[in-house]
Amino acid sequence: MSLLDLKGVEVQFSGFRALRGLDLSVSAGELRCLIGPNGAGKTTALDVICGRARASGGDILFDGRSIRRFEEHRIARLGIGRKFQVPSVFRELTVRENLHVARSRRTGVFANLGVRAAGGGADDLEKLAEFVGLKESFRREAGTLSHGQTQWLEIAMLVAQDAQLILLDEPTAGMTTGETRKTAELCKRLKGRHTLIVVEHDMGFIKEIGDVISVMHQGRLLAEGTVAEIENDPEVRDAYLGSGGISGA
Amino acid sequence: MRQIFVTRGWILGYAVFALAILAVPLFIDDPYLLNKLARYLIFGILAAALSLSWGYTGILNLGQAVSFGLGSYCMAMTLKLRTIPIQTGAEGLPDFMVWNNVKMLPWFWEPFHSTAFAIAAGIAVPVVVALLLGWFVFRARVAGVYVSIITLAMLVVVNLLIIDQQRFTGGFNGLTDLADLKLFGIDFDPYSGATYYLIAFSLIATLIIGQLVIRSKTGLIMQAIRDDETRVRYFGYDVARYQIFAFSLSAGISGFAGMLYAMVMAFASPTFLSVQLSLSIVIWCAVGGRASLIGAALGALLVTGIQGSLSETPAFLNTWMLIMGALFVAVVLFLPKGLISILNFGMARLAGDTAMTDDDDEVPLAHGGKLGIG
Repeated sequence: MSLLDLKGVEVQFSGFRALRGLDLSVSAGELRCLIGPNGAGKTTALDVICGRARASGGDILFDGRSIRRFEEHRIARLGIGRKFQVPSVFRELTVRENLHVARSRRTGVFANLGVRAAGGGADDLEKLAEFVGLKESFRREAGTLSHGQTQWLEIAMLVAQDAQLILLDEPTAGMTTGETRKTAELCKRLKGRHTLIVVEHDMGFIKEIGDVISVMHQGRLLAEGTVAEIENDPEVRDAYLGSGGISGA
Repeated sequence: MRQIFVTRGWILGYAVFALAILAVPLFIDDPYLLNKLARYLIFGILAAALSLSWGYTGILNLGQAVSFGLGSYCMAMTLKLRTIPIQTGAEGLPDFMVWNNVKMLPWFWEPFHSTAFAIAAGIAVPVVVALLLGWFVFRARVAGVYVSIITLAMLVVVNLLIIDQQRFTGGFNGLTDLADLKLFGIDFDPYSGATYYLIAFSLIATLIIGQLVIRSKTGLIMQAIRDDETRVRYFGYDVARYQIFAFSLSAGISGFAGMLYAMVMAFASPTFLSVQLSLSIVIWCAVGGRASLIGAALGALLVTGIQGSLSETPAFLNTWMLIMGALFVAVVLFLPKGLISILNFGMARLAGDTAMTDDDDEVPLAHGGKLGIG
């Protein structure tokens, strides 16, 4: 039984068809990599799942339930978390406060009036910050963090959110080799308890974490399989033609 | 820990401020001056209310005078009804209605015979208006400068409506010659210490309530919305609800301030709903520090205080507006987070032990900052 099902999803941006009947099915606990040449619609696929983009056709089922017309916050409450390509954190809040906002067990205005901004399991949050190497910066404003640290903070925020399905858009962008390895390790650790969909360009990273890879091309699913299967797929080779093959993408 | 030191410093700061405004009547004999200072404190309440919506949630409300004005009219209506026996005889009507040939007290004036109703309405009416406007604006995800334009338009509409309905509102003149509010056996004469204390305690209460909200997780989410509204949604928060909450809370406090103002001035007029007042509140906030309740309140006291003394000094009679303008420009340019950032800076320095030196870039002064709408 799959956790997430995209069935013939269409997305249009003022005439441009970013998704042209995308079919994608992800099971609970899986770590799925989404790859494809530029403009294949990978980010749009994540956008349409979390409600950022609206599907003009097809359907999206999460846990058997259509979420196509849900507002973003309702989709998030069902258990879908999103990391954006350009790291987006709350720059004027401290690392601790960012994590506290991210841990959204209660979402109501009046329910949260009773929760102290300074409290709320600070120990847990500090452990989380330590886990991603931000312990020293725990009380610093997020706006003062480096690019890599900001990426880490956003990943930690997704862990704090404890979403069932986590959508990661290029989590290793701008990271050093060491940081990339650490991200891979983290992804593997999250797998199982969480379901992950990761959009990536870094083939080394994908080989390290990926079980099943879905290849997108021109808004559609082109191929699906293990790393070896994908690399030998002639259609995939064609799609990447001119960009130095799949590994050079 | 530095953090604790700074937090304690702020609590101390609030306490000193509270004691200072409470001690003022001990040193002042002049009822006229006391009345003037009471007015400034009301402006402090207004600025703190705007700080909640603008400084903490990123909603630049240019129509805050709507809430203030509605509150002031609610109070003025009940106080006006008290004057009937003296001005037009026991079975009469408010004087301006007589002049306008109104034969019967309009239905919506009736409940204002009750002071309790008037006080409740002075808060509830602005809150309901804010809820309705907020529902339309924030549900539709209107953001940034467009919210400011809509609130400004709202202000102009309400202002025109009140001027136009002269028979019920007194038109341009407003509601004048009001009675004193008598509550629990206390006569709140506009020039009395009792009124001053009522207002001083109201300002303190506003700061405390504001702090309680800001220091809750709701306050944290409000600040997160100010930083990145879209990102907040993907954590499952209904952003519009938080915005409506901040907007309405600010409106309720402003309505309360309006009631106090009608008492102190002994009249309510369309100037209380003027664009000029609304913009002044923004300036107070910006000068004092919009992301600090006490900063905004101090900004209001400082700006209105300087304004008052300059405009009453013959030497500055023609130039005081210029001086105020220059002050505003200077603060916005050099202290984008307002004058309060000087205090912040000082406190961080006092607390700054060597282990924390790398935190220096956290000091507000060093930030580029933005006057930003939104």
